[in-house]
Amino acid sequence: MSGQPTALEKILAFVDERVGLKHLQAKMLNEPVPGGSRWAYVFGSVLLFIFIMQAVTGILLMFYYVPSADHAYASTQYIIHEVDYGWFLLSYHFWGSSAMVVMVFAHMSQVFLWGAYKKPREMIWLVGLALFGIVMGFGFTGYLLPWDQRAYWATTVGVEIMDKTPIVGDFMARFLKGGPTPGQMTLSRFFVIHVMILPATLMGLAGLHIFLFRKAGPAGPFRGSVEELKAKTDYFFPRQIWKDMVAMGAVFFTICSLAFIEPVVLLEEATPDPGEYHPEPEWYFLFLFQLLRLKIFSGEFGQFLGAIAIPGAFMALLAALPFIDRSPERNIFKRPVALVGWILVMAGILMFTVSAIINREFLD
Amino acid sequence: MTEQPVNMPPVKLGLAVAWPALWTGIPIKIVVVLLLLAAGLHPWEPVGLAFLLLLSIPIDIWAVGLSARTVFLERLRMQPPEGLGMALWWKGMALNVVYFPLAYIIESQTIALSKAVAGHIMEIELIKAWPVAERISIELTLWSSIATLMLIMLLLGWLFLFGKFVAKQTTAAQSSDASYQALIRQWDLIRVPSDQPLLLTAFTASGVLLVFLFWGFMPVTTPHPHEQYKKDEVKAPPAIKPTEVLQKSEKLLAQAEGAVQALEEQKAKEEAELSKSRSKSKGKSPAKDAAQGKAEPGKPAKPGPGKP
Repeated sequence: MSGQPTALEKILAFVDERVGLKHLQAKMLNEPVPGGSRWAYVFGSVLLFIFIMQAVTGILLMFYYVPSADHAYASTQYIIHEVDYGWFLLSYHFWGSSAMVVMVFAHMSQVFLWGAYKKPREMIWLVGLALFGIVMGFGFTGYLLPWDQRAYWATTVGVEIMDKTPIVGDFMARFLKGGPTPGQMTLSRFFVIHVMILPATLMGLAGLHIFLFRKAGPAGPFRGSVEELKAKTDYFFPRQIWKDMVAMGAVFFTICSLAFIEPVVLLEEATPDPGEYHPEPEWYFLFLFQLLRLKIFSGEFGQFLGAIAIPGAFMALLAALPFIDRSPERNIFKRPVALVGWILVMAGILMFTVSAIINREFLD
Repeated sequence: MTEQPVNMPPVKLGLAVAWPALWTGIPIKIVVVLLLLAAGLHPWEPVGLAFLLLLSIPIDIWAVGLSARTVFLERLRMQPPEGLGMALWWKGMALNVVYFPLAYIIESQTIALSKAVAGHIMEIELIKAWPVAERISIELTLWSSIATLMLIMLLLGWLFLFGKFVAKQTTAAQSSDASYQALIRQWDLIRVPSDQPLLLTAFTASGVLLVFLFWGFMPVTTPHPHEQYKKDEVKAPPAIKPTEVLQKSEKLLAQAEGAVQALEEQKAKEEAELSKSRSKSKGKSPAKDAAQGKAEPGKPAKPGPGKP
């Protein structure tokens, strides 16, 4: 075996001398994971993977999609019916958005239950909440783009709800609609927000989120003595990376299965008259939609309370959480308020979502 | 966390083994499900379900074995006995065969009963006057909370029994005097394949094969076309094979040539016979011949064979 370095080794040495590649690699891959690598830590990496897949499929869809009211529906149908594997690309993108919402809930739940929002990780939690809002924004803006009845009317209902916000509501609604009623301007703005503003914001905030996480280090499990945690310490490479890759593969196969079994099928093209169609948002907004049907939230003030005030207060509570809950205890079984609160919130979301589905039978 | 088997509750022991075993097997089962779907078999239908359950057997044996050995080493600080995975899988299967049908009956009866009770409560005049959304939420909360409680109890029952099986296995296990670090290294190493290059190659090969199968089975056009976009079945015209076409044409030409030749021969024959008969009759009555020729000037000659 020759002692002479290969061409690849020479290139790597060249770059390393100028960039510090080996040091960077060691820093990225050799991060210790106290208590060992865990499947519970995969959600963040899976979210990043789903975002990359959404970006790839979204770019491919943009080769054919036309963001104008005259051609949006036709170009989407063209993708489904004429472009080779276009139906699969669009269906993957559609189900990928649902997967992203599920993973966001899983990731936030894991961080909350493990008390990983507590000192010194408050800023990671706050940036994470902003990322949650961006993911919801992606779902809201992307839903309009096919421009069928479902897309048009769900967005109309959503924007009208936003109008309920005091002081800025009217401005926000008119800004999003691009005029007094939803139309071409709405589609253009939603398209720009969906493909330019939100991705750029997400990439910036995700980078900040990862940087802050690396600075603070993983919180680790909430059980075990110092000796036990030290004995089980793994490094990011290869153990946690292996688990991340398996989880990514599992999520990828799940999204593919859903795209295969339930591909996207559009309703009729959007018209100013909903006709027989009953507007409904995507499944992850259904609980809020059902909540607003309750009599207590009827009327102008009631709608503002249910659509803006209560969700806003809940998000504010989440943001204030690291500053309210200053106890260093992270074991969820020794934080009964947190545990019961999480169960109630999850059960409430599930109950209202199922209620919305049952309510469909009573709409006529 | 050192816990002697007699101190660790069976439910906790059952959960410590069953929960990670469940998640260990799921990624592989997802791949199996996708392959079944690509082959046109739905895992929720009898045939597909049978395939899935059959293929899950080795996966479950491996997953249960791995999780159980980890619990024995890390939580119980004992050396796991031989064949732990298989033993627990058999007992778990026997338990499932008896327990699952029973649990299904109990849970479905609970759901039916709680729905009926909730339905009766909803018939109260005061509640009947409430709006639809409120009534749906209350009715759903009433019967689903009872059904959920029953489900949790059934789950705890299963974990208790499975935990008992795990606890029984500890009687065959020996306590370990090794340090905590040594035990961790031991369960850590059971996860590391002995032949890593082989496993890596197998994974890569499986991945490549899956990619080919995936794109091979994937329909190019949507299997669910919109009503307005359904295409008519268009049969592609048969492909033209130039050599065959030329050969056919040559055969046809040769046949036509032969036919033309036959016609010409026939015509020549007929003319020869006609001139013979004419010369014979000329010798007997030339006047008759002349009159016949004159009388039938317009009569066309008899057409030969093949001519219209």
